[in-house]
Amino acid sequence: MAVRRLQVPKNRWAAVTVGLVVLAAVFAVWSGWSWYRAAHDDSAAYARARDQVLAAGEQAVQNMNTLDHADLTHGLDLWEASTTGDLHTQLVQGRADFEKQVQQAQTVTTARVLSGAVTELDDRAGRASVMIALRISVQAPQSAPAAKESRMLGELTRTPDGWKLSALGQAPMGDSAAVSPQPSAQPSAGQ
Amino acid sequence: MSSTTTRYLINRQRRLAATARPAAAGPVEVPAVVAELEKSTEPPARRWRWRRPAVLALAAVLLAGFGAGAAARMAALRADPAARNLALTDPVRTSEVKGTLSQAVNTLFSYNYADTARTDTAAKTLLVGNAVQQYATMLAEVRKQAPQQKLVLTTTVTDSGVELIDGDRARLLVFADQRNTSTADSAKPARTSYAAAMFAVDAVRQGGGWRIANIDTFNQ
Repeated sequence: MAVRRLQVPKNRWAAVTVGLVVLAAVFAVWSGWSWYRAAHDDSAAYARARDQVLAAGEQAVQNMNTLDHADLTHGLDLWEASTTGDLHTQLVQGRADFEKQVQQAQTVTTARVLSGAVTELDDRAGRASVMIALRISVQAPQSAPAAKESRMLGELTRTPDGWKLSALGQAPMGDSAAVSPQPSAQPSAGQ
Repeated sequence: MSSTTTRYLINRQRRLAATARPAAAGPVEVPAVVAELEKSTEPPARRWRWRRPAVLALAAVLLAGFGAGAAARMAALRADPAARNLALTDPVRTSEVKGTLSQAVNTLFSYNYADTARTDTAAKTLLVGNAVQQYATMLAEVRKQAPQQKLVLTTTVTDSGVELIDGDRARLLVFADQRNTSTADSAKPARTSYAAAMFAVDAVRQGGGWRIANIDTFNQ
């Protein structure tokens, strides 16, 4: 049945199928090549690394500015998990003293990231710099919660467990402050 | 590999044979590709008359399927917001955005009671949209007090980072120092106060230059 039916217009069938195969092959080659290029695009990989650095940096900076005196072990474990290198070593060494201070002060510190940007990224060396605008709220016993804004500059290093903070500090007041003979106002200091 | 090649040759022979006969029937309608094959004078192999189109159709379907899958994956990769954002990935654009917007912030938020025209001109050329009103509100107090107190406000961007460049839109995070000097009382040394500022600016590109369209002070 099928054989007989197909026999009649078989030239046209042949032409159509050959044409379709050629078209499909061209399409497959084109889209396959485009897919390959998109998947192996260096700048796309770099963009993904940038976003990973920003996410890791924002989370780590938030972690480092969050601490509840009632849950110190968990909080400080998180500090240590968010850091690497010298910063990590400092935290581990200073942990016992710091625990005592916070237990005495009985403070609860929480932080919220307002905005953040990656300022440098060396994908190969695995080093990056971020700047993060932070709002920190400190609740001490028998006093109103104090909110302050903090300008954080951080450096991140890539580790087998992802990007971690290797340095963290407040953005210093710039040259304009240094020029003044007698600075009359303090920058909004804090840790 | 060699067996495939052999099979290909056999199939080709059969294909050539299959198309040979009908050449005389309707030469006008035969497309060029097929006509080429029809020059063969070998006898037809009947089995391949219907198998060949079926195999070719299957090949077409498989190739088209692969193509569609690959195209979909490519589109997903291209549409990825991470890839669309050119911050850092395009170093030239990034430093352009960083440089021009930092300079714009320095100029806009510096105010000299003796030369207010400079700041006013900057406001007209560098601001657009929401930012016009936001800026006017932010500087209202300075403008009011400047003449009596002989205020000189100097803003210096100390750190800035490009958060986003997407086509004609960009966002820059800014840390800046502000120095406010009053020389109202000439008998005493100038009083100077310092402030640390942090905010973000959203910018749009218009007429070849970047203009600040929104000043985000994080609800401060």
